[in-house]
Amino acid sequence: MNCGFGEKLILYRYGEAGEAIEAEVRAHLVGCAACRGELAALEAAEASLAAGAAGPSPAAVAAVMGAARSSGRGLFSFNWGEALLSGGLAAALFFILTVSGHRAADLAWNNGLDDKLDNVEYSVYQAQADINSSSMDWEYGISSLEDETLDLSKNV
Amino acid sequence: MKEDISDTELVAAFKAGDTEALGLLMGRHKDAVYGYLLRLTGRADVADDLFQEVFLKLVKNPSSYSEREKFKAWLFTVARNAAMDHFRRDSSRREIPLEGDGEKAGAADLIASAEPGPAESFYGRDLARRIEEALASLSEDQREVFYLRHYSQLSFKEIAELLKVPIGTVLARMSRAAARLRDKLGDGMQ
Repeated sequence: MNCGFGEKLILYRYGEAGEAIEAEVRAHLVGCAACRGELAALEAAEASLAAGAAGPSPAAVAAVMGAARSSGRGLFSFNWGEALLSGGLAAALFFILTVSGHRAADLAWNNGLDDKLDNVEYSVYQAQADINSSSMDWEYGISSLEDETLDLSKNV
Repeated sequence: MKEDISDTELVAAFKAGDTEALGLLMGRHKDAVYGYLLRLTGRADVADDLFQEVFLKLVKNPSSYSEREKFKAWLFTVARNAAMDHFRRDSSRREIPLEGDGEKAGAADLIASAEPGPAESFYGRDLARRIEEALASLSEDQREVFYLRHYSQLSFKEIAELLKVPIGTVLARMSRAAARLRDKLGDGMQ
């Protein structure tokens, strides 16, 4: 028997009919035993499949997860990436510290500080020498004045 | 909560290196994909192998899934293709007969174990067997659409896109499958 509701009945059964078709099918079902039978058969088959549902073996699931971990994705590879990143950062830090340490040493040699210190020391030495020289000049001047004073007193 | 994350977001997380996202994706879809493959092939060992093949495709080549398409549609397309490839390799069996041949299970063997399965407990062995026989009597096209709809829960429009046929063809196949099931299951279904 073909009542012409076959495809509408399918849309109705699986919740894809619009409101108009749904109402039409509902009205039709009241008087059509064949469509009611198709609905009941679909319900029974669907329920039987649902009741007999089974899943894959745990080994199959584990195999997929194992492949994911070893394929360079997932937690395993993420740890490797993290480790490599950490290693790289540590190496970079070591390099920077080492080079900057050498530069610090180089600066101590090359920044002219020692030369400046030498210059200051030399200047101090020069100043002391000048002072000593002046002092000697003063002493010489004083002794000359003393000699002249002595000569004058003799003449007097 | 990761349970609220969409499939597409989980795939993106997996692509970024989050293995837990793949675990969640499998948790959501493993029973449906496996059930579909078991129904298509009639053998638990083959369904297990094909199940791995489907998800390994995502693991080995995640870019084969484009975020623009629905993940479940992609998943069942891959599962269907894997089953078709299996049938091409093992051309000795395309149709699943009711009775097994000793080496491979028949459709009826899916419910005919010594211990009553869930479906038998639910319906009783006789009705469960009649339903299996009715399902086995469907044409290949009718079964394919019926199983795709049941296990994937995709809309008929999405199933039409997956099978690359007009939606009218999908609905016609379903309608004929319903009529066939009613005829096979008899008056008790009215």
